Amino acid sequence: MYLFKRDFIIREPLLVSILVLIAIVFSALTHSYSQAYDRRRAALGIEWSARGNQALSKGNPVAAVEGFRTALLYDPQNWDYSLHLADALTRANHVEQALDYYLALWQRRPSNGPVNLQLARLSAQKGDAADAERYFNGAIFGDWPGDATGSRRTASLDLVNFYLQHGDNRHAESQLMILADNLPEDPQMHTLVGNLYSQVGDDRRALNQYRQALQLDPKSLPAIQGAGEAAFRTGDYRAARSYFDRLLRLDDSNTEAKKQLAVIESVFLLNPYEPGLSEPEKVKRVLRVFEVAGERLGSCSASAIGALYDRWKQLGAIANARFLSEHPEEADTLFDFATFAEKQAQSGCSEPNPDDSALLAIARLRETEGR
Amino acid sequence: MNAPDVTSNPATMPGAPVHPSWVAFTSRLTAQLAFNEDRFFLILAVFIGIFAGLAVVCFRITMDWTRLYLLGSALTPSPWRAFLAPSVAGLVISALLFTIFRGSTGSGLNQTKAALYISNGYIPLRTVIGKFILSTLAIGSGHSLGPEDPSLQIGAGLASALGTRLNLSRKKMRILAPVGAAAGLAAAFNAPISAVLFVIEEVIGHWSAGILATVVLSAVSSVITMRLFLGSEPLFRIPPVEVIRWQELLAYSVLGVLGGIASTVFAVAIGWLRSKVKASPKLLQFFYPAIAGLLLGLIAFAGFPQVMGAGYDFMDLAMHNQYTWQVLGMLAGLKILATTLSFSSGTPGGMFAPTLFVGAMLGGAVGTVEHLFFPQLTGSVGTYALVGMGVLFAGFLRAPITSIFMALEVSGDYTIVLPVLVANMFAYLISRKLQPVPALEQITRQDGLYLPALEEEREQEILTVEDAMRPRPAIILESENTAAEAWTFVEATSEDYFLVRRPSKSVAVLSRPDLQKLVDSRDARPLEETQILSVVPYLHPDEDLQVALRQATNYPLVPVLSRANVSRILGVIRLADIMETYRKSNRDNAPHG
Repeated sequence: MYLFKRDFIIREPLLVSILVLIAIVFSALTHSYSQAYDRRRAALGIEWSARGNQALSKGNPVAAVEGFRTALLYDPQNWDYSLHLADALTRANHVEQALDYYLALWQRRPSNGPVNLQLARLSAQKGDAADAERYFNGAIFGDWPGDATGSRRTASLDLVNFYLQHGDNRHAESQLMILADNLPEDPQMHTLVGNLYSQVGDDRRALNQYRQALQLDPKSLPAIQGAGEAAFRTGDYRAARSYFDRLLRLDDSNTEAKKQLAVIESVFLLNPYEPGLSEPEKVKRVLRVFEVAGERLGSCSASAIGALYDRWKQLGAIANARFLSEHPEEADTLFDFATFAEKQAQSGCSEPNPDDSALLAIARLRETEGR
Repeated sequence: MNAPDVTSNPATMPGAPVHPSWVAFTSRLTAQLAFNEDRFFLILAVFIGIFAGLAVVCFRITMDWTRLYLLGSALTPSPWRAFLAPSVAGLVISALLFTIFRGSTGSGLNQTKAALYISNGYIPLRTVIGKFILSTLAIGSGHSLGPEDPSLQIGAGLASALGTRLNLSRKKMRILAPVGAAAGLAAAFNAPISAVLFVIEEVIGHWSAGILATVVLSAVSSVITMRLFLGSEPLFRIPPVEVIRWQELLAYSVLGVLGGIASTVFAVAIGWLRSKVKASPKLLQFFYPAIAGLLLGLIAFAGFPQVMGAGYDFMDLAMHNQYTWQVLGMLAGLKILATTLSFSSGTPGGMFAPTLFVGAMLGGAVGTVEHLFFPQLTGSVGTYALVGMGVLFAGFLRAPITSIFMALEVSGDYTIVLPVLVANMFAYLISRKLQPVPALEQITRQDGLYLPALEEEREQEILTVEDAMRPRPAIILESENTAAEAWTFVEATSEDYFLVRRPSKSVAVLSRPDLQKLVDSRDARPLEETQILSVVPYLHPDEDLQVALRQATNYPLVPVLSRANVSRILGVIRLADIMETYRKSNRDNAPHG
């Protein structure tokens, strides 16, 4: 090159200018080439993703996996393709592989609600409780597209169910309390939360949720039944009777409600500790309770109850009105034995009749009041 | 019309004497603006990076277009395409290789090294064009080869073409090829540090500030250019690297051992098959790329299309735990077979991607097995796959330092450094033990070239001054002594030369005949004043013996001084001592038998 051989002052800037010019020309050419290439890749990504979605809608997750994997080949950073692929893998029961994709997505957006929820569900499915809890919380406090409140509620419900499956009622109840504070005006949602409270064993809060559900929809059968059962378990038999009556008025084919109502009627007839009872009436009821227990024990096989029936026979010596009116403290002894016998007779004996169930309910109520 | 006012500047006045400071200024300015090859070379490095980056972008896009046309858009090609495309492409490649692009065979790495050491860094532009077209066709049609080594040669070739057009000096032309190579590799890998290290570790073998600056500039500018067009996403979507427990280092050591063995199998297979191919008749050699393509098609047809092409998409799937350990192990083995077939057949294409593929599959398999038996360990399959890549890089390509940085650069996570160090060390040592000649070296020798084996050079014993020096002489004269005083000390000795300590802490040498001459002339002056002393340079015990050789050829005796106290003479060294040390070293290291 002539310019290069001669030591001109202008040589260096001139050469640099030429090189810049060449670089600009080649960059422009490469730019058009890469633009065409990008367009083709994007089109292929869309095409393969559509194939994946189609396969998914036809219930063929394996073909969907292939579709989304190919779509990702053309658009590796596409969030939706990755999410769909992970979903398809989950549906194809490739839990580990799906987890890996969800983890990669989580790495990109750690606060993404849907990804956290899927990770939580998969971790729970794998039995990884610590990770599941972490991701559930990530989902509850994460970012959601669209109805964020509803999605967070779904995540909370999932977390409650997860705690219940792991027998962690304490955490489940705490989570339910948070959830119950933010429920929408939806009777089904209140009923669902009521059911969960019932599973946790918090019948008072359950009853409260059913009542709220009934305020919104007085004819909601699941809410009435739930309320009746919760009231029964809390010992509020009058309220329970009223709910079951209401339920049967709306649906007289509900055999379960009929059974419950029969038990409640027996409670009202048998409970010797009902406030306001006269002493003779109390004695009369204790003797009836003792008799019910005896009938139950009589239906049991010897191996199931051991010497319990002999003991009942022995106590028969004091089970008379005269003795009990002279020794009122022995009424409790007879009642306690009767309820103990009923508890023991729960296996290896005949089906309990409403009187037997009522006896157990009275015993439970007495224990609660004693506490 | 008014005449221009020249009176304001005395220097421009006609006939006025030129002021000396003005002359000095203009000459300084001229010197500053005049062409400076060193400075221009740095600017040129940036442009080489830009051009190499653009070339690599076009190369990758063309490769993908070719794949789309030949193998279709599906992740796994249909069986008939997989069966036909590589064999038909093989025939076309052979036709072009035997007619137009004769010099474009091979991976590109050895060819670049050969250009550097044999033809002063000159790579014909036709070779570069050939490499671009043929590699595109080979990799795009599914031959089990990678785009990195061709990218390296394309970068080096473009640099060479530019240097030739600019008529650069031979010295600069030699540096230009590695500069372009680093740019090409950096753009292909999207990893500038690894590219710079690889070129220094494997292509140049040594570095200086000047070389490093140009190589770094070109690598960085090429990566920036590439990212402008193809985005800054890494080659793989790396899954999160979990905190690694110390117990897991055992599993990574197992991976290192397996990687070392796999590297050896890979190297031996290529060495063996390539030598057979080279020894076969020329006519038969024409059909080898097609035959290799056919066999590759059979592998794909048998249900393993993943081994086709560079395989980056499948490495990505392996990293995301998408295969069972049995499939991963199978893929590692089949990739070795497929690459051996493709590469040995003479089809142009690189070895980097297949090496990484084998490593990723092997690592993934080890990781999956580990998870199966020790579920409490935290390392993800992706981490094992990533470490596996480094392992094969260290074992097969014998670039241990680059392999570590590559894993770090690709993962962007420092947590991975421990397993990479442990596994790579095992792979490197085992591979060296089982296969002393590296695969790339073996290939070069099969081509009849004897390029400097940089790994062997690194392993060579470095002789130092300490190995050749004699103990401190019993007599060291002082420059304040007169000749007569000095003679009384040395008269009884048989030495020819004596060291003389001078007040300025420097040391001089005095020969016996010169001293005797002074004594005979009854010169009573101190030696310092006689002008007979010749000051000698000094050495330190740890200095390279080559440095000593340069000094000892000019001086009969060179003092060896302590680094802690330069007035303390530890010994002396002579040319004869150095030569004897070299002779002894050669005898000790001579090959047995």
